Amino acid sequence: MSALALRDAVAEYGTIRVLGPLSLTLAVGEHVALVGKSGAGKSTLLSVMFDRWRDRGPALMPQDLGLVPTLSVFHNVYMGGLSRHHGWYNLVTLARPFRRDVHAIMPLLEHLDIADKCWTPVGELSGGERQRVAAARAIHQGGNLLLADEPVSALDGPLAEQLMAALTTAYPTAVLAMHDVELALRFTDRVVGIADGCIALDEPSLRLSAQDLLPLY
Amino acid sequence: MWQSATVRTSLGFIALAIACAFFADFQISTQAPWQELGRLMLGLVMPDFLAVDFLGEALLRTLAFAFVGVGLGAFTGLLLALVFHSAWVRTGCAFVRAIHELFWALIFLQFFGLHPLTGVLAIAIPYAGIFAKVYAEILDETDPQPARVLPQGSGRVSGLAFTRLSQAWPHLVNYTSYRLECGLRSSAVLGFVGMPTLGYYLESAFAQGLYGSVGALLILFYVLIATLKLWVRPRLLPFYLLAAPFLLGSGLPIVWSNVSRFFTQDIVPTPLRNGEGISGLMTWLLDLMTTQALPGIWNTLLLTQIALVITGTLAMMLFPLISRHFTGRISGTLGHVALVVMRSTPEYLLAFILLQLWGPSMLPAVVALALHNGGIIAHLVGQRSNQLTLRQDAPRGLDRYAYEVAPRVYGPFLALLFYRWEIIMRETAILGILGIATLGFYVDSAIQEIRFDRALVLILITALLNIGVDILARRLRSRLRLRHTATSEP
Amino acid sequence: MIKGLMLAFAVLLAPSLASAETFVFTAIPDEDETRLQQRFQKVADYLAEELEVDVRFVPVKSYAAAVTAFRNNQVQLAWFGGLSGVQAREHVPGSRALAQGVEDAEFVTYFIAHESTGLQEGEGLSDAMRDMTFTFGSKGSTSGRLMPEYYLREHFGEAPEETFSRVGFSGNHSRTASLVASGAYQLGALNYTVWENEVAAGNIDTDRVNVVWETPQYPDYQWTIRGDVDERFGDGFADRVQQALLDMDDPELLDSFPRSGFIPASNDDYAVIREVGQELGLLD
Repeated sequence: MSALALRDAVAEYGTIRVLGPLSLTLAVGEHVALVGKSGAGKSTLLSVMFDRWRDRGPALMPQDLGLVPTLSVFHNVYMGGLSRHHGWYNLVTLARPFRRDVHAIMPLLEHLDIADKCWTPVGELSGGERQRVAAARAIHQGGNLLLADEPVSALDGPLAEQLMAALTTAYPTAVLAMHDVELALRFTDRVVGIADGCIALDEPSLRLSAQDLLPLY
Repeated sequence: MWQSATVRTSLGFIALAIACAFFADFQISTQAPWQELGRLMLGLVMPDFLAVDFLGEALLRTLAFAFVGVGLGAFTGLLLALVFHSAWVRTGCAFVRAIHELFWALIFLQFFGLHPLTGVLAIAIPYAGIFAKVYAEILDETDPQPARVLPQGSGRVSGLAFTRLSQAWPHLVNYTSYRLECGLRSSAVLGFVGMPTLGYYLESAFAQGLYGSVGALLILFYVLIATLKLWVRPRLLPFYLLAAPFLLGSGLPIVWSNVSRFFTQDIVPTPLRNGEGISGLMTWLLDLMTTQALPGIWNTLLLTQIALVITGTLAMMLFPLISRHFTGRISGTLGHVALVVMRSTPEYLLAFILLQLWGPSMLPAVVALALHNGGIIAHLVGQRSNQLTLRQDAPRGLDRYAYEVAPRVYGPFLALLFYRWEIIMRETAILGILGIATLGFYVDSAIQEIRFDRALVLILITALLNIGVDILARRLRSRLRLRHTATSEP
Repeated sequence: MIKGLMLAFAVLLAPSLASAETFVFTAIPDEDETRLQQRFQKVADYLAEELEVDVRFVPVKSYAAAVTAFRNNQVQLAWFGGLSGVQAREHVPGSRALAQGVEDAEFVTYFIAHESTGLQEGEGLSDAMRDMTFTFGSKGSTSGRLMPEYYLREHFGEAPEETFSRVGFSGNHSRTASLVASGAYQLGALNYTVWENEVAAGNIDTDRVNVVWETPQYPDYQWTIRGDVDERFGDGFADRVQQALLDMDDPELLDSFPRSGFIPASNDDYAVIREVGQELGLLD
């Protein structure tokens, strides 16, 4: 896999430019945090990346999670693997999951501490639990690239760290929009600061402290 | 308040209905209508379950036709819903659902004859059109986000099943089970044209004035509808669907040559068949328009507008019966039962009963339509009102109704009423078969005279009229910004 | 589930082989529809015994349905009214009238009136009837619609809709009797045998409704058979059916019609009905 590059990317809502023009290159094996205040254009940038790099089969974890509330936790996670199976197999799974898929998904749920909710419809879960389901789906999907928008916004303390660790281990390359600066610095290699739709800062995490990022907020 | 477009539209409709009432015929022509009603009530109180032959069979057939017809309609409707963005599919669906199931039955009777297929298709075809539209609306309302996060190459079917269908599933199931209830009503009513369902025996019993049998059949029908939730379980459904086709009865064998004859001869206008050319066809059409179609259209429109306004009035008056803001536990339950009885009686059946009691005028039709549709809308508006949270010191009684609740539910109420407009018109046309001079009367006459060319032209006119009203209702809804979603149908 | 549905549907569509050689007949539903199946089952049993083929009776809901079933070859024999018989024979070339009831050769229609009209028994059609309400029977009935309409037009020189303030179609003869008896309509016209049966059975209060006029005689009900039955059931089959009908003498069977017996009939016997039908625009 070669490096991922955006060149002069722009995004507009109607006639109002909300992003860019900006250019950004991602090295393989790099975990990048997007930081900035809300409305700065992080989510827009993620969705531009998703559209540009579609052919690389990125896993997406959007801010509103994209879960199906009527389906169980298992099925929502299973959806990450839909493309790996035949259509009929998927339809049968909808009615009655196969044991091997359950065996494959269960450890992931245990790892994220939601195994007891495996057969609960996602609509009945709390915000934090849902976020972990969405993360589990992204992890189950597998691949090289993860694009996640505020993946741990509804979690705190050890749970947030656990999830960040799980996501960054599962994907060699990842772009994560974050609002928790501490977590961003600890779990990523590079921080890109966004302000008013443009790149305001781009540094390796090691060289930064939480203090350095304050002007962005 | 008078400046509001909603209020002005409502007043316009009321004024139009009052104007229509001057042209309508509302005379009670029976000498002793209450005596007959008394006999009917007596029959309901003292039903004679032994007097009707084949009671069990009638019940079984009613269920079988409903299950096969609705099942087939739902399956086809779901497939069509997936391609509903195509203008052809949309138009086709609008057309097939604009023709009432009784008209479909009358058409199929001409070439399939008294074969189960006639009844099955009469339900399945219009229902497929309705299912396609509503399913498409339900699917459109699902959250598109889950489909976006699916991995690349997930496949159309899997993607659809896991995202849109799964999200919409509870709504689809809800709507389909409501339609199954409608299907039971349709199935029973098909008996009036000769299918071996409850309506068949009900019509005979009425014709003979055997009110004991009438009572037995009606009670059976209500029990069937009221207990629907008890015996239609998701787990049992596949079993029912598999068994139903085998319980339709055999009827008479289909002679396929009749089908081609119907399309190549029967429905070809007589002047063309006799080689009289275009000028002959024009004279024929003109004659049909002036003597039958125009009077039929006029009466259909009159009746529809009057029935619509009375339906609305009744619904606004009755919804407090099930609203928690107005009723206690016991009175709420009673109100609920009253509305269930109102809406589960098919309007065709109700009109038929009232016609026997009051004689043939527009009165039985208006009352039947208003009771049935008013019951449905009152139920939905009542449910909507239960979602409202009033402040703790809200006024009580009439003040609460007029100031707190009615203004808040009036928008949804109008949306529902406009949604029912086309349904009321479709029913109005069909009530003609009972002898009220709407379009159905002339369709029935043409069929009695074995003139299917005329019948078909009149049925097409009816369909176009329904489509026209549907479009008008949609325009009005969007002009008044009334949001109505498919899922707010019961 | 879907496959099951499809399969069942295929079974449903396949023409039933077993019934291919069953001889099916029907009768127009013009009066008491209760126990119709049992009553006519006896007729079916009788015919099966006489003809040595399987015979099945199928009830229908309207005159048109009887004609359509006959035309579609779903029934091969039918007990028609005058007009429906003519319609049926028009549509099925080669079909013929086999037999009529003894009473049918000289059938009449009764005009009945509610006592509130003040019309006297047997006083005939009169201008006093103008602007009253009036009901026919079924739209396709000979004695309940065709002939009464013909005589009304002849007497008043205009369509019944112009003579009367309201014209209805009750659906069948028994209902005409009960609608006029209840006062729903002031006047009505019906099959005289049904009237006399209802009176004899005590279903009608003759103090409240009486017969004001009786039409001249005309031919009515008859058995009609399709022309192609000989091909299907063997040479001379139609003639054997005719003989079986003429031989029917069990009062229990005859009561279903109700007739005292059957006599031979031919298509030509109904020429007058045809003419009247054309005159009134009910036949092309």
